[in-house]
Amino acid sequence: MNDSIDRPRMPADASDFGLLRRFEPVLMFTRGEKFYPTDVETYARESSLWSHAPESPRSQGEWGGRDTLLVPQGELDLQKLIEPRPAPFGTVHYLRFIEPLSLSEAALALAEQARLNAESDNVFHAGLGRLARGGLLPRVVDALFSASFLLRGRVPAALAAAAEIAYHHIQKENPRYTYYGRVVRHNGWTVLQYWYFYCYNNWRSGFNGVNDHEADWEHVSIYLYQEGDQLVPEWLAYASHDYKGDDLRRRWDDTDQLDFVDGHPVVYVGAGSHASYFRPGEYMAEAHLDLPGWVRRGFAVFSQFWTETLGQKSFDPFRIPFVDYVRGDGFSIGTGQSAAWSPVLVDDSTPWVSQYRGLWGLFARDPISGENAPAGPMYNRDGSPRGSWYDPLGFAGLDKVPPPPQALTLLEENCDKLAARQSELDWLIPQKAGELQALGIKLKGMEGNPHLARQYAALEKVKDGLGAEVRALRREFSENAALLDGLTKRLERLRQGIQDDPQAHIHRLAEPVVAAQMRFERAAQAWAAISLSLLLFTIAALMVFSPAYLGAGLAIATILFLVVESILRGAFVETVTVITTLLAVVSAVILLFHFWYWIFIALLLATAVFLMAQRLRELE
Amino acid sequence: MPTVKRNRKKRPIAVTLIAWAIFILFLVRLYQAIEPLIDAGIFENGLREPLFEGFQFTTQGWALFNSAAYAFLSISGLIVLIAFLRMKRWSWIVLMVWTAISLTITLLDYFYDQPNYIVMASDTFIALALNQADVQRIFRIRTDPGERLD
Repeated sequence: MNDSIDRPRMPADASDFGLLRRFEPVLMFTRGEKFYPTDVETYARESSLWSHAPESPRSQGEWGGRDTLLVPQGELDLQKLIEPRPAPFGTVHYLRFIEPLSLSEAALALAEQARLNAESDNVFHAGLGRLARGGLLPRVVDALFSASFLLRGRVPAALAAAAEIAYHHIQKENPRYTYYGRVVRHNGWTVLQYWYFYCYNNWRSGFNGVNDHEADWEHVSIYLYQEGDQLVPEWLAYASHDYKGDDLRRRWDDTDQLDFVDGHPVVYVGAGSHASYFRPGEYMAEAHLDLPGWVRRGFAVFSQFWTETLGQKSFDPFRIPFVDYVRGDGFSIGTGQSAAWSPVLVDDSTPWVSQYRGLWGLFARDPISGENAPAGPMYNRDGSPRGSWYDPLGFAGLDKVPPPPQALTLLEENCDKLAARQSELDWLIPQKAGELQALGIKLKGMEGNPHLARQYAALEKVKDGLGAEVRALRREFSENAALLDGLTKRLERLRQGIQDDPQAHIHRLAEPVVAAQMRFERAAQAWAAISLSLLLFTIAALMVFSPAYLGAGLAIATILFLVVESILRGAFVETVTVITTLLAVVSAVILLFHFWYWIFIALLLATAVFLMAQRLRELE
Repeated sequence: MPTVKRNRKKRPIAVTLIAWAIFILFLVRLYQAIEPLIDAGIFENGLREPLFEGFQFTTQGWALFNSAAYAFLSISGLIVLIAFLRMKRWSWIVLMVWTAISLTITLLDYFYDQPNYIVMASDTFIALALNQADVQRIFRIRTDPGERLD
């Protein structure tokens, strides 16, 4: 890859469509991916439109409420989608790609999905599973997270199978790979936005990820600046899970981070999640268990004691590791790939973009929204405007960055202003300092004359004010000099065409994890799969056979499980240190509880001896 | 004749204190190894009954088992003590494991039986002292960024 890292240019007067086509990214998927960017028109035709009215206007997203079918499947199109539908506050409009399934329909869908997978060679292999990558504690938290789906709204597993089959049929009839392109011009930047619509996000059901939901909107932005009569690409920003602002963007010449095919940037797409990445690999994504505030606060206090007082490594037991598989070894779309793009130009006036504020798939009533479908490119789930649409510069932290040609002018202006101020200060400071000296002499002459006390006091105030002013001016001069020095050096670098490090703006770089770090990979995976169940069996056995020693047995079993885990993960010393430290803390609390009186006396005696030694040393 | 300076690592005070704590534990465990044999009258009368009845220990069997367990802890403590004073890396790891086991037993004793507070205090002190950054650096358990592991 990296066929061309020379920046392709386009005439500044090129059409929006021409610009989009010239820079359209190549999308590379992971083997086993089932859903690819598709067109919303076909999707809408295959969907039904619903509304969910809450029991009360304040109970949006919670259980209860009433779902009403507005337009049945087969009758919906983009025109009907945008028809005005007045509704009470809290109402959610949503599409359903897959109609509610009966038990037999669900079983049929799962069987058909299995048949399709057996016939296809597009199969996913997880490799080292996510559970083996985390420790025992994250696995316990993961079990709680899985259990939370019993309480939260979730998308049923058969829905993913049915969606896969439906999408398979759509592609069979009319294989099209669509992106929705948009061009906006803000503050000297020309922004090309590529929006991709997927029928379904099967990250959880297909790739052991965080969530499943109908419909998925993802996007990539390319930022160009004008140089003469040409437009030149400078930055790329890919929407991703855990990153925002500056961390989302890479500079066009950052060859460590970017791949190109014939001048088109490559986007590596997360399996099932469809998140966009610059580099292929496997990325650890983290989900946090939603816990009450007092638990979090309590843990924060313990964490501070653990890291600062005991000097241990910090850890977060409430994070659940998930893997976003971004291998780029599957199907690919774009220039030079097996499938080509069918681009569609959109803007603020495109009716389905601006006038449909509902969800593009099932409203699963998940209060933390992970399983609810997203809204369109212009809106958030709650109908509010989406930042990446109305502020594409701010979305990638570019709102503070001028285009390169303007950067030079702005820098020169800054330097000139600063230099002018320095000249002014150069003249002003001696003036004011002279005034201060004259005042000082005057005050000295007034000393020893009691009848001048009132004038002396008044003049002294003036002297203090002037002194402060001179000090402030000198400080300003000194600070300006340092600033001017920095700006001038930067200006010289820019004039010589020397650019900053392409990654200087990145605070947190998304990096794929090392594929395998386990000593006994198969054993580790097997252990990861069975350990939690084995622990539960042990607890059950203890409750049946030795209820009197349940606590002790549980403690010993947990320690043994942790030790086995640590051997497999190559972290024996670390784990034993943590276990011993925890046991020591418990013991210290017990000792403090039983012997606080004697410990207090011992502290008193130690203080007395210390102080006595100090004082006696002074006498020597 | 010129004196030859031996390149010896300086032993920090924490290591010496830990060594003393291990020595105290060694004495306590040694006493615990002997005590069951005295209680069971084995020193006075020798072994007068079988050690097992079916699959269960007899009184003397239990005494011998307990004595052997504590003797093992005591002797291993002594070996670790020597290696610890010579600042061997493995002794730090063994001592940490040993302290973990000892603390577990002591805590179980606390919740289910009669605790030995001297052992508990010594173990707690050892565990916390072994966690000191200086001690971990000396035993090459913790390394600073860029530091070479010889």
